[in-house]
Amino acid sequence: MSRVFRVPVAPARSGGVRRYDTTERPSAESAPARAGIVAGVLSPHPPHLIYAENPPQNEPRSTGGWEVLRWAYERLRKRIREVHRPDVLIVHAPHWITMVGHHVNCVPNPRGVSVEPIFPHLFRYSYDFRTDVELGEAIADEATDLGLVTRKLHDPRVRVDYATIGALHLVNPAWDIPVVSLSANNNPYFYSEASLEEMEVLGEATRRAVERTGRRAVLLASNSLSHLHWHEEPELPEDMEREHPYNNHQYRWDMKLLEAIRRGPTAPLRELITEHIEATASETKAGSLTWMLAAMGWPQVPGDVMGYGTIIGTGNAVVEWTPEGGHRG
Amino acid sequence: MADTGIVAGALLPGMPHLLAEKPAQCWADLAAAAREVGDRLRRLKPDVVLLLSTQWFTVLGHQFQCDPNPRGEHVDENWYAYDYGELRYDLRFDVPFTERWTDHVNKAGMQARRTRYDGFPIDTGTIVTSALLDPDRELRWAQVSCNLYADAETLADVGAAGAAAAREAGVRAAVVVVTGLSSGLIQQWIEPHSDHVSDPGHDRWNRRVLDLLTAGKVDEVLKIREDFARQAQADSQFRALAFAAGAGATAGPAQLHAYGPLWGTGGAVLSWNLP
Repeated sequence: MSRVFRVPVAPARSGGVRRYDTTERPSAESAPARAGIVAGVLSPHPPHLIYAENPPQNEPRSTGGWEVLRWAYERLRKRIREVHRPDVLIVHAPHWITMVGHHVNCVPNPRGVSVEPIFPHLFRYSYDFRTDVELGEAIADEATDLGLVTRKLHDPRVRVDYATIGALHLVNPAWDIPVVSLSANNNPYFYSEASLEEMEVLGEATRRAVERTGRRAVLLASNSLSHLHWHEEPELPEDMEREHPYNNHQYRWDMKLLEAIRRGPTAPLRELITEHIEATASETKAGSLTWMLAAMGWPQVPGDVMGYGTIIGTGNAVVEWTPEGGHRG
Repeated sequence: MADTGIVAGALLPGMPHLLAEKPAQCWADLAAAAREVGDRLRRLKPDVVLLLSTQWFTVLGHQFQCDPNPRGEHVDENWYAYDYGELRYDLRFDVPFTERWTDHVNKAGMQARRTRYDGFPIDTGTIVTSALLDPDRELRWAQVSCNLYADAETLADVGAAGAAAAREAGVRAAVVVVTGLSSGLIQQWIEPHSDHVSDPGHDRWNRRVLDLLTAGKVDEVLKIREDFARQAQADSQFRALAFAAGAGATAGPAQLHAYGPLWGTGGAVLSWNLP
């Protein structure tokens, strides 16, 4: 037998007791009472957005660019801090590609430098964050119980990918909210699509785990929309003269999807997401958006499209859903 | 055999299972075949080995590794729980030759991008291949990424640019492509002994392609490549073969050293014109 499980599971905790310092979460007086999934966000991750922001964690420097999307993220950050005040951010990202099964990062404190193999000139990011291990393990257990092939990652040496870091940084650059990150079960070596049916199950598992552990969670679907893009890059990556939709077909399909999101409810999106993938090679084929909306029970509400823009020709939108449809902040 | 330019070629899978401490017999056979190809490749004493691994996939232009000595540890993001998911590497790249190759790619109207960054994640396929072919680090590599969206003809042009660079430099070069055949993974955690090609149809396609290659009919394989990609989920649409052919590394019948399953995918070790 060649399998060797090397790293022990993090120490078990007594049920119902939170692991984080009280300084890291809202005070008892101000904390909202309701647990569960309090918001879901379509939160695209192209490394250009972090590169353009010049945070101290990222080594390359830029002159800016893609401001409209970054301003949308700024408004979202304010909502998350002032309105949603989550205990945890749960992210599903398409660039932690796992060829077999759905994996959950259960490393308590992932840290290191993530050099992005496709955009190394834009993204060399020093990460250091905390995982809500109890919730991560609960999601993996629920997914297993529901019949999915799963695995819990306990090896801290596995590099965290840029789609996970990207969405988390853009939503919470202070990194002061615990995290659970989920992989995308996909095959990188041919043009495959995630099983959206399985993503519905993973969403259900996520919802059950959040409720069982009593967390107040914001979900992040780390996906771009239309995904055809330029194959070459200008000398100045942030040259905005060169930034526009790949073509009008891609743009119109993105608008068709976003108009349906703005109208609500979300149930018709089930079919439309599939059509949008077919028409635009949308990155939602990795399943993150379907996972998130399924976890929220396909809410009967419109989404709030906070911003849209293209990045090397791909379509990207920051969209927020809340269970009741109220958007504040 | 040419005095300079491309003198030999090889194709092999990059799945880390080939390095398992307790492998399935089919994994061990593939690994032994790769080691044999490595022995014969080193006997040729090529000045440089042009390398393309489908597991270093990119989307902007064609990236070339320009770090002369990447070294470190790579823990595979899928196979980390197994002994073979933990990989160490210490690679030697011929940067002056790589620069020459990038110049040829640019001259051909394509975008070549130089990559040299501390901590750059070397892909699993490259590490596995170098460990099997060149355990004592005698070879000098020149590597280009596999652009996800480049068509087969473009990758053939990138290979041809490498061959032109070798002729211009007056060096003897070999070509190694790291690619699987069918890529239908078994979506379960299996024991090694239960490995099998996940779909009989994929197995039939793999054998058809191998029969043609060992008969020296690489052009026929390139003609049916898209069907192979669609019907057997061929690894990166089997464009790695187009790269090798474009470089001129697939002249004559291939020698098939091994074929077998790797977690449901198909893997083969092939060589051309090795002594």
